[in-house]
Amino acid sequence: MDARLERILLRVQKPARYTGGEYNAVIKDKAQVDLRFAFCFPDTYEIGMSNLGIRILYGVMNGMDGVWCERCFAPWGDMEAEMRKAGLPLWALESGDPIRDFDMIGFSLGYEMAYTNVLNMLDLAGVPLHTWERGDDDPIVMAGGTCAYNGEPLADFIDLFSLGEGEDVTVEMLELYREVRRTGWSRAEFLRRAAQVPGLYVPSLYDITYHEDGTLASVTPKEGAPAVVTKRIVQDLDTAYYPVKTIIPSTEIVHDRVMLEVFRGCIRGCRFCQAGYCYRPVRPKSPEVLIEQGIASCKDSGYQEMTLSSLSTSDYRPLAELCDGLLDYCEPRNINLSVPSLRADNFSMALEQRLQKARKSSFTFAPEAGTQRLRDTINKNVREEDLLRSCRTVFEGGGNAVKLYFMLGLPTETDEDVVGIADLAQKVYMVWKQYGSNRARGVRITVSTAFFVPKPFTPFQWEAQISMEEYRRRVALLRRSITNKSIIYNWHDPDLSYIEAVLARGDRRLGKALEAVWRRGGRLDAWSEYFSFERWMDAFREAGVDPDFYACRERPYEELLPWSMISVGVRPRYLWREREQAYRSVITPDCRKQCTGCGADRLLCDRKCDALYPISARERHATEGEV
Amino acid sequence: MAKMHAHRLLYEKTGRAIYISHLDTMAQFQRAFLRAGLEIWQTEGYNRHAYVSIALPLSLGFSSRCEILEFDLVSQVPLEEVPALLNRTLPEGLRVLSCYRAERPFKQIKTLDWSITLDYDSGVPEGVEEGFRAFLSPEHLIVRKPSKKSKKGYTELDLIPMVHRWSMEPVGERQMSLSCNLAAQEPSLNPQLLMETFAARYPHLAPDFARYRREEVFQENGEIFR
Repeated sequence: MDARLERILLRVQKPARYTGGEYNAVIKDKAQVDLRFAFCFPDTYEIGMSNLGIRILYGVMNGMDGVWCERCFAPWGDMEAEMRKAGLPLWALESGDPIRDFDMIGFSLGYEMAYTNVLNMLDLAGVPLHTWERGDDDPIVMAGGTCAYNGEPLADFIDLFSLGEGEDVTVEMLELYREVRRTGWSRAEFLRRAAQVPGLYVPSLYDITYHEDGTLASVTPKEGAPAVVTKRIVQDLDTAYYPVKTIIPSTEIVHDRVMLEVFRGCIRGCRFCQAGYCYRPVRPKSPEVLIEQGIASCKDSGYQEMTLSSLSTSDYRPLAELCDGLLDYCEPRNINLSVPSLRADNFSMALEQRLQKARKSSFTFAPEAGTQRLRDTINKNVREEDLLRSCRTVFEGGGNAVKLYFMLGLPTETDEDVVGIADLAQKVYMVWKQYGSNRARGVRITVSTAFFVPKPFTPFQWEAQISMEEYRRRVALLRRSITNKSIIYNWHDPDLSYIEAVLARGDRRLGKALEAVWRRGGRLDAWSEYFSFERWMDAFREAGVDPDFYACRERPYEELLPWSMISVGVRPRYLWREREQAYRSVITPDCRKQCTGCGADRLLCDRKCDALYPISARERHATEGEV
Repeated sequence: MAKMHAHRLLYEKTGRAIYISHLDTMAQFQRAFLRAGLEIWQTEGYNRHAYVSIALPLSLGFSSRCEILEFDLVSQVPLEEVPALLNRTLPEGLRVLSCYRAERPFKQIKTLDWSITLDYDSGVPEGVEEGFRAFLSPEHLIVRKPSKKSKKGYTELDLIPMVHRWSMEPVGERQMSLSCNLAAQEPSLNPQLLMETFAARYPHLAPDFARYRREEVFQENGEIFR
C-alpha cells in the first residue's frame, strides 16, 4: 500500500471504502494482462457497490482473458482533500495503481447530479479533462448507464458512450480496442471504428449547429458515423451473464444483499418514467434459472437477505412460482426474501403478507398524483379503490403506517389535483379509522412530494418543468389542505430537481457550465451537504447558459432534440402520441392487454416481445381486480 | 452474555483488512461460515443471526496476530479442518490460524503484547528511548479519556500501572520499534492513548506516524490465553 495512503486512511471516515481486498474482488497477474479497465462509479463506494449493473459488467470484463477490470469510486470530501494535499492520484481498488495508467476508464452514469463527480474524478486521476486534450497515451474515457441516453452535457469530457445493456457491447468494444492496438494505435482511429459498433456513440464525430433562438439546427455525423445510434439489449436473460460470484463488501453498503433481477423492461408505460421506456422491451428470466442463481448466490455470498428487483415485480408472470421456489430454500435457513416494487393489488398484498414473517408495520405506495384524472394523464394505472383496499389490508393486518409518494408539477396539474393529494391521504386515514385493528396505537400517514423532472425518451420530453416559485406555491397549497395531525407532509426542495431538469435535457453547450460549477467546487452534488444551488446558478451565468431554456421551456414536436441521434427502440412518434393521449387524460393499456406499437420489440432478433404472450388466468384475475 | 460458547478461532488481521471495523469484521465471519457451508449456532428471537463474538475489540487501523473469536459450531466437522474451509471464504487479510474448543472465559484475559512501529520522516531524533523512559518514570501518570458513561464526559486513567514492560530499538534511520505489554481488560490501555500522551508531553520526540500490532494475548499468570 502507498505510504501516503496508509497515513491518510486513518484520518478519513470509513476507510474500508478505499482499500479493496474484499471477498471475490478479482486480482490478476499483471504479466498476463494486456488491457486494464478502470470501472468508475461517480458516487461513493456504498452507493456504487449497490449497483447490480456494475457487478455484471465487472464479471463480464474479468471473464475475458487478459482483461483486468478494477473499481474506482468518488472519494468523500475528507478523502479528496487528503489526496490533493498528498498529491495522491485516484487509484483502482484492486491493484492500488493510478487509473491514469489504465487503457480505458468507464463511468456508470445513473443520475445527472453525479456529473460533477465525473469531472472531479478525471481531475483527481490526472487525466486531461477534455476529450480534445487527450493524447494517444491517455486512457479512453467512456460512459454508460441510464444518463448515457442523453450524455450530451458530458460530450466535452467523454470520448465514447455505450448505450443500453452492456453485456455484449462491452466485450465487442474491448476486442476492438485490442485489435486497433495490434494494428497501429491511434486514439482517433479507435474512436472512428468504435462508432461503427452498434450501441457505441462517439460525440466528437457529430457536428451540432444551432438556430439563433438556441435550439438545435442540425446534427451531422462525420467519418462514417451512423445518423442514429440504437441502444443494445440482451436478447436472452436466461443465458446472459449473472454474477453469482460477486464482491462482498467488507463494510456496509446501501443494498447489502443478494439481488435477483427477474425481468428487464416494463409493461406499464407510466408517461413520466424514463426507465419504463428506455428499458423496453420486456424480457423475463425463467423462474428455474432465477431460483438456481438465487440459491447459488446465497451460498457464495453468505448473505442472509435476498431481494427481487425489476421495475414492477407484480408483473412478473411466474412470481408465485419463483417465490415458492426461493422460500423453500430461504425459510429453513432464516434467509429473508423481500419483494419490493409491488403494485397495490390483491395478489401482491397477499404475497407481501406471506413474505413478512415478522409483520411489517409500514407500507409504501406511489399513486404519484392525487386525482384519477391526473393519474390517467400520466398513465399511472392505480385506482383509488385499489389503493384504499390495499390500505385496508395493511390496517386490518395491524399495520399503522402508510407512506404515499406523489409528484408535483406534472403536466396539466391544477390546484384541484394538488388538493386531491390531501383528500386521498384523508381517505386513507378514514380507512384506518374504520378498519384499523389497533386504533389505540394511532396511525401515521406520510405524504411526500417530489418535483417532477421531465426526462428524455418519455412522452413528457417536450414538457416545460413548472417554475420553482409555482412548485413552492403548490407545496404551500397542499400544506394548507392537510389539516389532520396524523398526516405528515414532506416535500423535496425544488432547486436540486431544477438543476436535474436542466442537465437531463441538456445539450453539449452545458459542458462549459459543468466545468464552471466543478471549478467552483461542485462535487458530490447528489448529497445535500455538498449541493449548492447558488454555485450552479453562478456557473450558468459564467458559462452564458440560461438554465430556464433547458428546464422550463416547452418544445414543439418539430424541434430537433439534443438526443435525436440516439434511439432506445421506442419511436419518437409513439412518444408524441402518448403525450397527446396524456392531454386527453386517456390511458394506454399495459402491453399485455394490447400491444400499442411502441417499436421496442424491433430490438428483439428471434423472439417475441414478452407482452405478446397470451395472458394467464392469474393475470386476468389480477387485472380484473385493478379496473 | 457471560455464557461461554464452545468453539474459538485464532485469527490474524493484517494488510488491507485492518480497515475493516469491529462490527464489519464480525459480519465477515458470520458470512464466511455460511459461505464455507459451516453451520453455527444462531441467536433466538426476532432477528435471528449467526452468533459470533470477538474477545477484545481491535481499533480500526490496528493489525493483530492474535484475535480470538467465539461461536458454537453445529456442523459435524473436525475442528482442524475449519481453518482451511474458512480461509477460502474470507477477505484478504483475515486468516484463521486455528480452531479449538474454548476452555476458559474471555474475562481471564489480562494483558496484551503490542509491537508499535514509529515513523520519523526526517530521521529518528536523539533520545527517543530515554525520553520514553522518562515519560513512564513518575509514580502516576494521570490522563483523561473521553467517556460517554461518566457525567464529566471523561474518566481519569493512571497509565503507569497499565504499562507492564517495554523495550525499544531502532529499525534503520527513520523507524523505531516499540514492544510493550499493556493492560488489556478492566481497565484496558489503548496503545494509541499511550503514544498520544507521549507525543503531547514530548513533542520533539513525537513520531510522524505510528502503526500498532497486537502480538499476543495473556492471562493473569502470564500464560498465553486461548
